[in-house]
Amino acid sequence: MNTVPTGRVPDTCEIKLSDLVRAEVTKIRALPATWVALALALTADALLGLLAATDVVRLAGHDGQIAIAQSGTVLLAPVYAFVAVPVFTAGGEYRGGQVRVSLLAVPDRNRFFLSKLLAILGVLAVAVLPVVLPGGVAQHALGDADAGEAVDALFTKAVAYLLLGLVAYGSAVLARTVVTPLAVLVVLPVLVSPLLRGLSPEVTRLLPHEATLSFLGMPEGPDLALDRPVGLSVVLAWAVLSIGAAWAVTARRDSCP
Amino acid sequence: MIEAVRLTKRYGKKPAVDDVSFTVRPGRITGFLGPNGAGKSTTLRMLLGLDHPDDGTALIAGQRYRDLRHPLRTVGALLDGAGPVPERRGIDHLVWMAQSNRIPRRRAHEVLELVGLTGAARQRVKGYSLGMGQRLGIAAALLGDPEILVLDEPVNGLDPDGIRWVRNFLREYAASGRTVLLSSHLMAETAGTADDAIVIAGGRIVAHGSLDDISAGHESLESAFFALTAERGGRGGW
Repeated sequence: MNTVPTGRVPDTCEIKLSDLVRAEVTKIRALPATWVALALALTADALLGLLAATDVVRLAGHDGQIAIAQSGTVLLAPVYAFVAVPVFTAGGEYRGGQVRVSLLAVPDRNRFFLSKLLAILGVLAVAVLPVVLPGGVAQHALGDADAGEAVDALFTKAVAYLLLGLVAYGSAVLARTVVTPLAVLVVLPVLVSPLLRGLSPEVTRLLPHEATLSFLGMPEGPDLALDRPVGLSVVLAWAVLSIGAAWAVTARRDSCP
Repeated sequence: MIEAVRLTKRYGKKPAVDDVSFTVRPGRITGFLGPNGAGKSTTLRMLLGLDHPDDGTALIAGQRYRDLRHPLRTVGALLDGAGPVPERRGIDHLVWMAQSNRIPRRRAHEVLELVGLTGAARQRVKGYSLGMGQRLGIAAALLGDPEILVLDEPVNGLDPDGIRWVRNFLREYAASGRTVLLSSHLMAETAGTADDAIVIAGGRIVAHGSLDDISAGHESLESAFFALTAERGGRGGW
């Protein structure tokens, strides 16, 4: 350690929300998991787009083989790599006691939550197009959709990714961990939906994953289908609920890491 | 100046901190002493707005911590269980902290140099030794060149050279009119560094005053500590 005296830090004007957002973006950028998750999402989305467009690989279904393009759950699978970004952003705060350092720097809980939310929204909004574009281009170039339909599908998919990202973000704040929200989000479509579908398709189609598939126009079956605007409304409601609960909890609870 | 007024925190029915009041004055190093589980860390977290008190108030420079305009320029804190995400690089940890409080980026490099971590700035924190992690925590506390330092076991994991550096640094810091609250369970270290002491045991303040006053009638600060904390259920041995 040196014996250099501390340097005077010049006083500056009020800390703005944009300063806090910039700091949160730095946190996200400086986390290797962010880049790994985005690379995984991009690769998986591009590969599935290619397979869906060329139909060279088929899946085993109840009534024989089905094309990948007909399986919404498979086509939507890369979103779970994409939502790892908000999950790591929120859940990562509870690794190494980072949340306590964050709250020392930004003690106003509402400003802290808002800046973090704006930062992750910005990062996801910038990242979503590069992630979904290659898969969409492959499906358009090799498939039979016209350009208008392809752009519409891309935009819809980007919105779906963003909304599921927000659901995941709120869940990670509530769970204070990385593993649980990712596990729950993956288990819901893979295990819960198939089991619940037989008992109550009316409830199953309101789950975030199933509502997103309806919004994308790829429901897993007629019994789970919602109109696309209704699907959008349901997944939007999940996102609002998740973020609202996370905000309320952040404002009130102690800083246990 | 730090003021705690009747701070109380309960976990369930059990009070972790019970009606704690004290003042930490500028220009002095105040040791905050207590056995494990005495309520030191809980008190510090309430002072710094991390945990909500069930009762009482904590003021830093006359305001609640969460109302401070420039938190990191007012208080630098090193707390147990508060550190960077292990996968992040040391420099990135300091840069986001600086950005969040409008502190110039160059200051991150200055404090890294100050604590002798310049060579490890681009290393991920998970590769740091215990002492390096502690140095990074001290660097983070000094980032805003604050008026008040709140340090929980700052010499934990440091080598003798580092311990001496911290001791001298804190003395200079306090001598310049700033406030230092130093939580520790190392009696000899505290006796060699602090001017005043607050002793907490079983969640209550059992002594508060100058080191000389607290040690009066005892062989050493350590003897005084054991005598004071034993009355409040402190452990007599292993």
